[in-house]
Amino acid sequence: MLTASHLTRRFGSRLAVDDVSFELVPGEVFALLGPNGAGKTTTLRMLAGLIEPSTGSVRFKADTMSPQTAPRLRGQIGFLTEAPGLWDRLDVRRNLLVYARLHGLPKPDQAVSEALETFGILDRASDLAGQLSKGLKQRVALARTLLHKPGVVLLDEPTAGLDPESAREVRELVLRLREAKKTVVLSTHNLDEVDRIASRVAVLRTRLIALDTPAALRARLFGTRLRVMLGQAAAPFVSTLIGGGFEDVRADGAVLSIAVSKEPLSAPVIVRRLVEAGADIVSVLADEPRLEDVYLRLLESEDQNAQTTKKGPSAA
Amino acid sequence: MTRILALLYKDVADLRQNPSLFVPAVLTGLFSLLLPFVVAIIIPVFAEERLSDSSDFEIVVETYKDQPAMRGLDPEGTIQAWIFQHFLVLLVLTPIAGSMSVAAHSVIGEKQARTLEPLLATPITTFELLAAKVLGSLLPALLLTAICFSVYVAGVVIFAQPGVYRALFTPASLGIIFLLGPLASLAALQLAVCVSSRVNDPRSAQQIGVLVILPIAGLLVVQLTGSFTLTGPVIVFVALVLLGVNTGLMLLGIRLFDREAILTRWK
Repeated sequence: MLTASHLTRRFGSRLAVDDVSFELVPGEVFALLGPNGAGKTTTLRMLAGLIEPSTGSVRFKADTMSPQTAPRLRGQIGFLTEAPGLWDRLDVRRNLLVYARLHGLPKPDQAVSEALETFGILDRASDLAGQLSKGLKQRVALARTLLHKPGVVLLDEPTAGLDPESAREVRELVLRLREAKKTVVLSTHNLDEVDRIASRVAVLRTRLIALDTPAALRARLFGTRLRVMLGQAAAPFVSTLIGGGFEDVRADGAVLSIAVSKEPLSAPVIVRRLVEAGADIVSVLADEPRLEDVYLRLLESEDQNAQTTKKGPSAA
Repeated sequence: MTRILALLYKDVADLRQNPSLFVPAVLTGLFSLLLPFVVAIIIPVFAEERLSDSSDFEIVVETYKDQPAMRGLDPEGTIQAWIFQHFLVLLVLTPIAGSMSVAAHSVIGEKQARTLEPLLATPITTFELLAAKVLGSLLPALLLTAICFSVYVAGVVIFAQPGVYRALFTPASLGIIFLLGPLASLAALQLAVCVSSRVNDPRSAQQIGVLVILPIAGLLVVQLTGSFTLTGPVIVFVALVLLGVNTGLMLLGIRLFDREAILTRWK
């Protein structure tokens, strides 16, 4: 559907994006994570055909993005920019109507009415955009982004600054887009949000640090762990499990965290050993580190790699 | 064309919500309208001396009395007709000065309001964007010119000698208002839009764009000194030159419009 191949973008001497590649399929929600200045917005702009990569290419279906094809391809992409970007002195309906005409929709008035209804803003259609709350502005901006029913939707920090209710509405919308087999690329700092809706995650810091599903990233960095809550202190049972073939066992109060290779098969063994040792088991759960921990671990590891690379030549 | 009209519709709707942008245009229009009436009607009344009593205008009467539009006018009427005809050039300045602020804000205004990026994310091309922006400034300017010209003619019919108004309907006069005026406005506004897409402060765009007024003001001065007259062939020649200038400015505008720099470097 959308392929980024070796995307690199320089602004003068500054390298904003370095050799980023990925391929997106319909129905996928792809999250771009990274600290400020990591190149997320630049990547989205290259995907949207707003700026050209210095090297590398963006392919949309069978077409390669170029100055010649970009105007046509932009008609099949919806880009929600970081700021809602509404014309404050125009009412909501007129804001959308201009975009319906810019996209050359055959029945612009009907398309706008449908969008207003879909996004629950029909009753605010005649309000000036400048008078809307931030949440409503974002809803109008989303309606504008999806007005022409694009196959690919690029969302740049869609929930930034929104109240929890509005943020949830946006997340639900993204899930609906996924169900409708749209390809969604999402740039955000909200890791909890990514955990809930993203199929795959790309961690970016100028270059791509990691790219995988959230579960695979967790497993890669932290391994698969089980969390066993006991009815008593957990420390005495650490040796029971280590002696029983489990190498990485940690105790914290009444909780045991055990690294396992194959969770479904390991759980009965662990429970049996603990019960035999006299432990009272309250619960057994998969011990999932938060995505935030995964993200921070990736960035730390990247920092260490960068330092090693810097030290390398001087040490030699 | 649909996209040009879509953006034009937005710009006109936006202008209707913000009429204060046209205050400079109205003030320039009033000044351009009043000045010839002050010279041809009000000063002679207060000075209690007819223009034809002054020897300064003898050459005007001698030169123009046999022109078709001035036949049948007495010397006072001939001088009035000459003044009102020559001051028409000043009327050309009205739409340019008035719309300059609109044109200067056109691109940078969108950037400052953070509305440019979503706009550029649509299939709109640079030509369509610039054309819509120029037309968005030009159309209100032309409307203003038409209103000013109507008021000017009405004023001449009411306050000047009977028959003087005919001097405003010669091919040369109409050429100045309805051919040179729009073409000069188009050039000025295109220049302002070009500048607006290159600077990050609307005031800079306005100041540079206003420079176009200088040659037109110079034309007025040269005409009034009698060393140059905008005759029919001259008007056609100037119009052709302006047409070339406008085509060149559009091509230059497209070349200068750096959407990447606008998106990534402007703050």
